[in-house]
Formats: sequence, C-alpha cells, structure tokens
Amino acid sequence: MNSVRDRNESAWLLPAGPGINHRLRADMRHFDDEEEVDVVIIGCGAGGSTMAQRLARAGWSVVAMDAGPFWDPDKDWVSDEAGSHHLYWTEPRVIGGADPVPLGSNNSGRGVGGSMVHYAGYAPRFHPSDFRIHSADGVGTDWPIEYTDLKPYYTEIEEELPVSGQDWPWGDPHSYSYSPNPVSGNGDMFLRGALACGITAKVGPVAIANGRFGNRPHCIYRGFCLQGCKVNAKASPLITHIPDALAHGAEVRADSMVTRIEVDERTGKATGVHYNRRGSQRFQRARMVVVAGYSIETPRLLLNSASARFPDGLCNDFDLVGRYLMVQGAPQTAGRFDGEVRMYKAPPPEVSTEEFYETDPTKPYKRGFSIQTVSPLPITWAEHVAAQGHWGAGLRQYMSDYVHWSCLGALCEFLPLPENRVVLSSEKDRHGLPVAQFNYSQCDNDKALMRAAQSVMEDILQAAGADEVITIDRYAHLVGGARMGADEHSGVVDGDCRSFAVPNLYITDGSVLPTEGSANPALTIMAIAARAADRLTAGGAGSTADRLPVPVRRGATG
Amino acid sequence: MSRLPLDPSAGGGRFPGFDVMAQSKHWDEVTTSVVVSRLGMPPDIRFFRGTEEATASALCDQLLDQQKPPRVPVVNMVDARLADEQTDGWHYDGMAPDGQSWRDSLAALDEDAMAHSGCTFAEAPWEAQSAILQAVLDLGSKPWHGTPAARIWSLWTRYACTAFYSHPWAWDEIGFPGPAYPRGYKNLGVNEPGGKTNRLEPFEVADARPAQDPLRKGNS
Repeated sequence: MNSVRDRNESAWLLPAGPGINHRLRADMRHFDDEEEVDVVIIGCGAGGSTMAQRLARAGWSVVAMDAGPFWDPDKDWVSDEAGSHHLYWTEPRVIGGADPVPLGSNNSGRGVGGSMVHYAGYAPRFHPSDFRIHSADGVGTDWPIEYTDLKPYYTEIEEELPVSGQDWPWGDPHSYSYSPNPVSGNGDMFLRGALACGITAKVGPVAIANGRFGNRPHCIYRGFCLQGCKVNAKASPLITHIPDALAHGAEVRADSMVTRIEVDERTGKATGVHYNRRGSQRFQRARMVVVAGYSIETPRLLLNSASARFPDGLCNDFDLVGRYLMVQGAPQTAGRFDGEVRMYKAPPPEVSTEEFYETDPTKPYKRGFSIQTVSPLPITWAEHVAAQGHWGAGLRQYMSDYVHWSCLGALCEFLPLPENRVVLSSEKDRHGLPVAQFNYSQCDNDKALMRAAQSVMEDILQAAGADEVITIDRYAHLVGGARMGADEHSGVVDGDCRSFAVPNLYITDGSVLPTEGSANPALTIMAIAARAADRLTAGGAGSTADRLPVPVRRGATG
Repeated sequence: MSRLPLDPSAGGGRFPGFDVMAQSKHWDEVTTSVVVSRLGMPPDIRFFRGTEEATASALCDQLLDQQKPPRVPVVNMVDARLADEQTDGWHYDGMAPDGQSWRDSLAALDEDAMAHSGCTFAEAPWEAQSAILQAVLDLGSKPWHGTPAARIWSLWTRYACTAFYSHPWAWDEIGFPGPAYPRGYKNLGVNEPGGKTNRLEPFEVADARPAQDPLRKGNS
C-alpha cells in the first residue's frame, strides 16, 4: 500500500511548526496568458485545489486562479472573531425567497483554501443511501454514481487531510487513521446527554490530527477553527493540497476574479477564461477549463458567460444552471448548566451522532439529520441570545452567563427543489458584472426535520442536566446549483464532472452534488474532485478519452 | 473585573479580577495589534451624516444598555464598518444594501420619536426610546416603515453585537479570555460547581455567581 506521503507530500513540504513554505511560493512556476496551459482551474477551495494537486502530479500544466488572496496564516489571520471578517466572501449578493439564506460568514469563503479555511473541520462521509434517495424514498433525485464509486477516494482524502475519530458505525462503517482528539466541556456534555438518552454518539470525524502529521503541529485546542487555523493543525487545501501542487509545477494565481469563460462558437470547446487581476482585464488560454467556484459563484459565472450559442448562460440549454441549490437546516440548541462548560476551549468540532441520518418509516418525514457539537464564540453567541428577543439589559445579563452554556447543532437534509436557485440580479458588482441573487424556500419535509432535530437536541441537553434550552434556526453549507445527472436533461455535468454541453469544461465543486445528505460536504467535494481527476488522468476513462484534450506530460519540477 | 459599569444584579462582576489584557503578552503580534486597536481612540465618524450619528448613538446605547461611561464605542465601530462597506456579504431582496438601510432606519426612528415624544430619537427620554424599540421588535415579520421589522432588527443587532462583543472589556464581563494563540488551552472539560473538578486555566477566573441563571425563577 502506498503511503500518503508518496501521493501527496504537502504536509512534509510545510515548515516544521506553523507558517508557510516561502521558498515553494517564491519558486512557483508562472505561465504566460498566451501559453495554452493544459488546464485552468477557477477557484482554489476543496474541489479546485484537489484537482490542481492531482493534475499537476500527473504532469499537466496547471493554472489555478482564485478571486481572493494566497493566504499566509502567520500574517493574515488572527485569533479573534471580528478580526476574521476578511476570510469570508463579502462581495455583494442578494438573498430572497420565503426563507432567505444568509451568505458570507455563514458559508462562503474566499482566497486559496476556500471555505475550508473557516469551516469547523468536520469531515464525515455521505451514507450509501444518499446516492439513491429517489429510488428508496421517492424524494429528491438519484446520483449518476454510487457510494462505491466514491469509496476509494473517501479513504484517500481521509488519509491526506487527515481525519481523526472513533470507529464509525454509521453508513458504510469505517475507521480513521488517527485516534480521536480529547474532548472538552461541550463535547463532554453531548456525550453525557447522549448516553443518558440511549443515543450513540462518537468523537469525530474531524480533520485535525490527534498528533503531528508530517511537519504539521499538534492542535493547541485554542477554539478558533472558524477563524482560520494559524497552527496548521486543521486541514484546509491551503496546507493539504496546494503545497504538493506547487511542488509539481502548478501555478496558483491569486487575486484573479474570473469574469467569463470563452467558448469557440465553431468547435464548441472552451478556449480559456477572461479574468480581472488587480484592475487589468486578461485572458488565459487553456485546453481545458475546470470551474470550482462553489454553489453561488459557479452558477453565476456560467450565467454571466452567455453567448450566441448559449443565450441563457453557458451549459444552460435545459435551464438547470443555478437550480436545485441546497442548504442544510442547521438549528442550534443550547443548554444552560451550573457547571462551567466554557465552550470556547478546544475546537468546536468534537462529537457527532448520525443515529437519525436515515429515513425512519415511523416518522412523517423522509430522510433525517445529524447532530454535532458547535461552540459559538461570543459574537456568534450574542446572535443566539439576540434571536431569543433579548436586547439591552436582558442581553447583557444573558451574555454574562456565557461560560455556563453548551451548544449543539443539527444538519438537516433539505431536499433539492428547482426554484431554490441562483439567478442574476439587476445589481452590479465593482467589475460591472451582475451579482448573484439566491432564492430559497423550504418545503414541508424540510420544516419537519428542523423541528425533529431541535427536539432531539433538547432531549440530549436536558438529559445532561441542562435547566434551560434555547434554539436558533439557521442554515449551513451550500451544495448543488450545477448538479451531476444521468443525462443533459437532469444534470449540468455527468458523473465524471464533465459538462454535457462543452466537452472540455468540467465542474468539480460542491455545486455538482445532486443531494446533500446530513453530512458536512467538504470531504465529499474533495472525493468527487479526486475521482474526476483520476478519470481524466488514468486514461482509463474509456468512452470519454477520445474527446478529452491530451495533456502535455512534464516531469515534476519539485 | 470589567471596566464597564454593570450592576451585579444585571450580570456585572461575575468574574472578579479577570483581566483579558493582562494576558496579551502571550498573544501573537498580528492578533495583539488588532485587539489593542479597539482600546485606542475610537475611529472618527465617517459614514453617519448630520443627526444620524446622534440617532445611531442612542440606538446602540439602548441595544447594549450602555447608560453611562465608560462605554465600548459601539457607534464608532459600526460607523467604521459602514464607511468601509464591510458588509456580511448579502442583503435581502427588496431591501437596500446595509449602509442605506442603516440611514433609512435611523430616519424612521426619528419619525417614530417625533410621533411618540415630539422630539428626535436621541432627544427622547431613555424609557421612551426603549418603548419605541420594543415596539419595533414586537412587530416581528410585519412591516415597519415599509420593511419587515425583524430584518431591520437583525441588521441593528448584528452590527451592534459584533462591535460590543469584540471588545476586551466585554470579554472581561463574560469571562472569555479572547485570543489564544500561540498559547492554546491545556485544561479541557467541565468545571463543576463547588470545586468538584477544576478545569480552569491559571488565568481563567471562576464565575462568582454560578447560579445566576438569567432565566431561573427567583433570580433578579
């Protein structure tokens, strides 16, 4: 069995301790706009960075663009909640529908590493049932691939992040290469309550090694995972895939906002991307374009790339672009204890249960939810308290009680609905491009799951000894918006992430997910990208090989 | 102990002697500079115009119950974000972007105060201001001056709470130690009442009144 280091050396390319490999960045290869690179990748988050690393390793010439900065965690990130605002995508966006979903800090990253820079760190797999909920339950849709297609890539990515946790009994039972991290006050309360209720809960799965990994240090349990890990302990593509991509000759071109994908009207193939870099409008030629801008910006870019051939937006012949966008219902329930929980200590991701993940035939709703520890810092906690209607003196008094509260969050599987979508707004951004408007409305099944999850979280906290419980309704994660399907009438891309409309255009981010399960999506997005890259580079893609651009193979430069 | 004046019956003085800034020598430089800047001279007002500053000040004082000095300069911190267009990355369809929504809602508060007390919001007595705000909150999703009241309320409280609870004085008040890099935490777990377990770091201070649950009956 090959070791992780043999296939992804990122953790060994970083310096021992926190910080970045400045030499690797200084020596980074640069391609000319005029040079037709094998692939240009748009977005350096979970999907884009994984593609960049895999394709660079295979000898492809790779330019990976990101609208945001190429972070240096030492200098650019702080151990402070309000001071971390620049980690989020805060360019203008409009939200609508009956149940509008806030964006920004809630679910949208920017810069190299993407949203995984500020995600909590949970890295669960989807369950086998997720891939065929229409067949099994008559809701949502089936995927064009099965769990078994992704399974080897789940294993690979779990080793590369790496993920730590107890043996996992749910879905397809599996183990992790790292043992679970120690549990803090909040995780302890979850475990106590779950035990008392007869609910199985497990520590993990968290993309923070319990120990060193390569040159990456041990976690210091400082609790600021959502503000970007300065320690290099929590996985994000910035440290798990980008270093290896650079060592194999990829260029990361940060501060580059792609504004339009160019398609040759005669050949029907993508020829490159228009982008704005520090005020200059430029064009990068490429044999292949991979879009990985996530569920809002990917559809927006396709819609903004309309042409004579694609009057309603690129790849939008069947009005699917931007549709079936999903969020997870993520109510958070907190309980009050006389003991001091001090939930700010240790990473927020600690303990989870997937006991309620699958459809329960005795319930009036389909599909389910998972429950995990979340540990809001004071500003986010103030939002919880304010949502109860407290303000002024009541808010201050409630907040003075912060150290006594424990907080759990659910991820409820919301169903894919065609009207939950991104459209172009009449409002323009600073580049003069229409901004995205994201409309969301819940269906009855969604609402029923929110209340069911709240009720279980209340039971757990009360069983642990809480004398008061409060709940705030919120949403987490984005997936869908350019989903994969069996054919062009049901999806924008096929199971290998290739668009049906443009043979050399791929989408490898969360927007291709047809359903969302009750799992945090990062691991699945990376696994899908790793699989897509494998299908592209193995040459074993069979029927698709003849239509793919042939990469110019080059030796590794690292 | 926080410098902010807050009566013990209202949650003040629960962490005697706790001083977040006393630990700043253990923080990294970048974080320290960000946090220390909040303790310096408040940023000049650049966004609010004319009487908006007075209305916004009164509103922020109400939302965080800051009746007397020293205060966290919430209005300056909100103003700085609005001047820099440092939004949360979204606004509601049918509602103006955050800056304009702040202006519109401050004007609406003055209108309400004029109808209620015959003066501007800032000139109205404390209790009258509180009543006007409670009326806005009580509208819930019903419109207030043409916009769902809950959306305006959320706009105000998001900006005001982000400012207030980013300030070390507020952290002193709630027992939160603030930045934790590169030091981290070593003593994880529930700190049980009555000294059954001690899960505090040497620099953390136990709550002096752990039974002061704001919702528990019989507590003031």
